[in-house]
Amino acid sequence: MAAGARAVIEVRELRRAFGGVVALDGVSLKISEGERRAIIGPNGAGKTTLINILAGEIPPTAGVVRLAGQDITRLRSWQRARLGLAHVYQRTELFSPLSARENVALAVGARRGPYRVFRAPPRSEYAEADAMLERVGLAGREAVLVRALSHGERRQLELAVALAQRPRVLLLDEPTAGMSPVETARITELVAGLDRALTILIVEHDMDVVFRLADRVTVLHEGRVIADGTAAEVRGDVRVHDVYLGKAVTVA
Amino acid sequence: MSLELVFQQALNGLSFGALLFILASGLSLVFGMMDVVNLAHGAFYMLGAYVALSVVQLTGSFWLAMLAAPLALALVGLVIEPLLLRRLRGRHLDQVLLTIGVSLVIVDVIGQLWGREVRSLSAPPGLDGSVTLIGGVYPVYRLFVIAFGIVLAAAMAVVYRRTKIGMLVRAGVQDAQMLAALGVDTNRLFASTFATGAALAGLAGVIAAPVFGVQPGMDTDPGLLYSLVVVVVGGLGTLSGAVAGSVLIGPADTFGKVLFQDVALAVIFAIVALVLLLKPTGLLGRIRVVR
Amino acid sequence: MRPLARWTLVALAAAALVTFPYWSAPWESTRFATTLLRDGLILAIFALSLDLLVGRAGMPSLGHAAFFGAGAYAAGIAGQRLGTDQLPVTLGAAALVAALLALVIGVLVVRSEGIFFLMLTLALAQIVFAIAFQWTAVTGGSNGLSGVGRPMLATLDLSSPDLMYVLVAIAFVLSAIVVWGLARSPYGRALVGVRENERRMRALGYDTARLRLSAFVLAGTIAGIAGALSAYSTRFVSAQDAGLGNSVRAFVTVLVGGAGTLAGPIAGSALVSLIERVVPSLLPVELRISEAILGLMFIAFVLFARQGMVGLGRSAWLRVRAR
Repeated sequence: MAAGARAVIEVRELRRAFGGVVALDGVSLKISEGERRAIIGPNGAGKTTLINILAGEIPPTAGVVRLAGQDITRLRSWQRARLGLAHVYQRTELFSPLSARENVALAVGARRGPYRVFRAPPRSEYAEADAMLERVGLAGREAVLVRALSHGERRQLELAVALAQRPRVLLLDEPTAGMSPVETARITELVAGLDRALTILIVEHDMDVVFRLADRVTVLHEGRVIADGTAAEVRGDVRVHDVYLGKAVTVA
Repeated sequence: MSLELVFQQALNGLSFGALLFILASGLSLVFGMMDVVNLAHGAFYMLGAYVALSVVQLTGSFWLAMLAAPLALALVGLVIEPLLLRRLRGRHLDQVLLTIGVSLVIVDVIGQLWGREVRSLSAPPGLDGSVTLIGGVYPVYRLFVIAFGIVLAAAMAVVYRRTKIGMLVRAGVQDAQMLAALGVDTNRLFASTFATGAALAGLAGVIAAPVFGVQPGMDTDPGLLYSLVVVVVGGLGTLSGAVAGSVLIGPADTFGKVLFQDVALAVIFAIVALVLLLKPTGLLGRIRVVR
Repeated sequence: MRPLARWTLVALAAAALVTFPYWSAPWESTRFATTLLRDGLILAIFALSLDLLVGRAGMPSLGHAAFFGAGAYAAGIAGQRLGTDQLPVTLGAAALVAALLALVIGVLVVRSEGIFFLMLTLALAQIVFAIAFQWTAVTGGSNGLSGVGRPMLATLDLSSPDLMYVLVAIAFVLSAIVVWGLARSPYGRALVGVRENERRMRALGYDTARLRLSAFVLAGTIAGIAGALSAYSTRFVSAQDAGLGNSVRAFVTVLVGGAGTLAGPIAGSALVSLIERVVPSLLPVELRISEAILGLMFIAFVLFARQGMVGLGRSAWLRVRAR
C-alpha cells in the first residue's frame, strides 16, 4: 500500500458458507483510495461471493467489512450505495422496458431521493444522463430501449448507470464477460480512463484486461487469498501458476 | 370455562383442523408442483358440496356422494388444466389470474343451477348420532371427520414417500423443468396433479357440508380464506406444511370464536401476522422464488 | 397536438363530466345515466388506486377492497358516533382509517413479491372482511351498516342525486390528476424501477421496501376515499364492500382496461360498469350470470390481450400507422 494512502475498503477474516459449502474461508484485504485492484482466481474461488458481500447483497457468516473506516458489515445494499458504493453485476441487470437514458436517469435521481411527487423529473437529470451515456460511448443511443441494445452496449450502459451514482468505490464483476475483442478493448479503455480518485475493484478472467488496468492483484483460490501484490509480482508467483495449471490440490 | 367445555372445543378444533387439512392439501399440492396458487380452489370446494347435494338428493347415499364429488371435480380439473392453464406455461402469475376468472364462472354457474338459498346436507345415517365422551355429548360425525383427516394424511404420506407416483410428485415439487428434461410427460403430470388438487377440494366440500352447510359465499368463507391461511402459516408446497397449518389454525379458530366471538378472526390475523414477521415462508415452508 | 390545446380539451372534458346531470337533464329525467356514471366513477377511483400498485409498482394486490370497505365503514361510523355529517370529518376519517389499515397490512406484505404477495393480500383482506361480517356491534355484521348520514358541506346537503354526482365527479377528476402527477414524477419512475428490477434499484441506493410501503398506503388511502363515496351514495355499507368479490372486481377492471396506464383503469371501469348494469337487463331475468360473463371476459383478456384494452388500442394504432 502506498505510504500515506488510506484504506477505503478493508475486509477482515471474511467467511461465508452456504450450507456445507465454504465459499470464503478467511479472506482479508485492504484497498487504498484510488487504487485499482483486480481479483482473479479459478472458477469457484469465491470471487463473486466476495463482491456480493462487499455490495451488501449477502451477509458474511463471519468477518468485518469497512468502508472508509466505517463498519458496514450489517448495512443493506441500498445503504451502502448511499455511502458511495456502486456495483456492476456479472449478468446484465438493467431496466429492460426503459430506454438507456431512463436507466441512467434512475441512477441520477437516486441521489436526490424518490419522494418528489408532483413535478416531472428535472431536465438536468436527463441532461446528466445523456452526458454520462456520451462518456461511455453510447452517444446517439439515448432513446433506444434496453431490449434493442447489443450485449456490448448493455455492458457500456451498466457502466454509465454505475458511474451516474457518482460513486467512491466501483465494484465490477467480470465487466468484459461474453464480449468480442473489440468490445473488450472498448470497455477496458473506458475503465482505464476513469477518474483516478475512484477506487475500482474488478473481478476478471481476462489477463490482458487485468494487466492493463490493475495496480495490484489479489488471487483467490478455494475461498482463500493465495497471493497479493503488483501485477508483475503475481505474474511470477509459482503458487498462482500451480493453481491455474491444476497442480495445486483441489477439493472437488 | 369448564373442563368439559374445553375438551369439547378441543375436539371441535381438531375436527375443523382435519377439515382444513383435506381442503388445504390440494392447494398446497398444486402449488408445490406447478408454482400456481389455484384461486379457484374455493370454488372447487363449493362445487363439491353442491354436487354432493344433488347426488344425495338423487340416490340418498352420502357415501356415493363422497365418491362422486371428487370424481366430478377431477374431471373439471382435467378439462381446465390443458384448456386454459397449459397455454400460459411458465407465466405463473398469469395462471393464477386465470384461476380467478375460472372461479367467477364456476360460482355464478353454481348459483344459476342450484339457486342461491342456504342449503344443508345431513350426516349419513350411522354417523349422525352422538356419543358420550369425557367432555359430554359429542356428535359422531365430527369424530369421523377427525379420523378421516388422519387416515387421509397418513395415506398421502405413504403415497408421497413410498410410491413411484409420489416420487414423481416430490421430484416435480423440487424441479419440474428437470423432470421434463428427463423425459417425464409433464403435461400429463401437471394435468393429473391439478385434477387431484381439485378432487381433494371437492372431497373437502362433501365432508364439510354436514358441518358448515352449503350456501353462497362458501367459496371464499371458509373455502379460500382458510385454505390460504393454512398454507401461509404452515408453509406452501409441502404435505407437512398443510398438516402443521391445519393443526394450528383449526383449534386457534375454534377457541378464538369461543373466547372472542365477533372478532374471533382477529386471532387468525394475529397468527398470520406473527408468522409473516418471524418466518415469512411459513412454519415448515421452503424458500421459493416466484414471480 | 400542442400542449395548450391538449390541456384546454382535458379541462373542457372534466368540466363536462362534472356538470353532466345539468346539461343532460332534458333527455335524462330518471337519473339512470347519472347513477350509472356515478357508480362507474367510484369504480374508476378505486381502480386507479389499485393500478398504482398493480400497474406501476408491480404489486399484484387482491385485497384492495379491504381499504375500500374500511373507508366506507369509517365514513358511516364516524358520522354516527361523532354526531356530525360534515364531509371533511367523515371523509377525513375514511382516509385516515384506510391509511392505517394499509400501513398495518402493508408492513406484513411488502417484503413479498409476485404470487406470494397476491396470496397474502388476499388472505389478509379476507380476514378483514370476515371481521367486518361478524362484528355486528360495530359494523352491523351481515346486515350491513345502514343509515349512513347525508354528506354535508357546512349547510349544503350533498345527498341529492345531482350533488352527490358532482361530489363523486370532482373526486374522480382530483384522483386522476393525483395519479397522473405521480406517474410522471421521480416517485412514479422509482416505482417502475422497483417493478422492473428491484435488486438493481437497491444497488442504486433506493430503499425499495419503503417505496413499496408508501405506494401501498397511498393506494389504500385513495381506495378508502372511494369507499366513503360509495357509502354516501347508497347510504349503506355492506360487508361485501370489503369482500373478495370487490377486490376481484377492481383487479379485473385494471387488467381489462390496461394496467400501468391512466386510461386503462378508466376504460376498464366503463366496460365493467356497463356489463354489470346493462347485461342483466338484456338477459332473461332468471339468468343471472353477469359475474360469469365478467369471468369469461377476464380469462379471455389474460390469455389473449394481457395489456388490456389500452394495449389492444395501441397495437391497432401501430398497425394502422404502418400501412
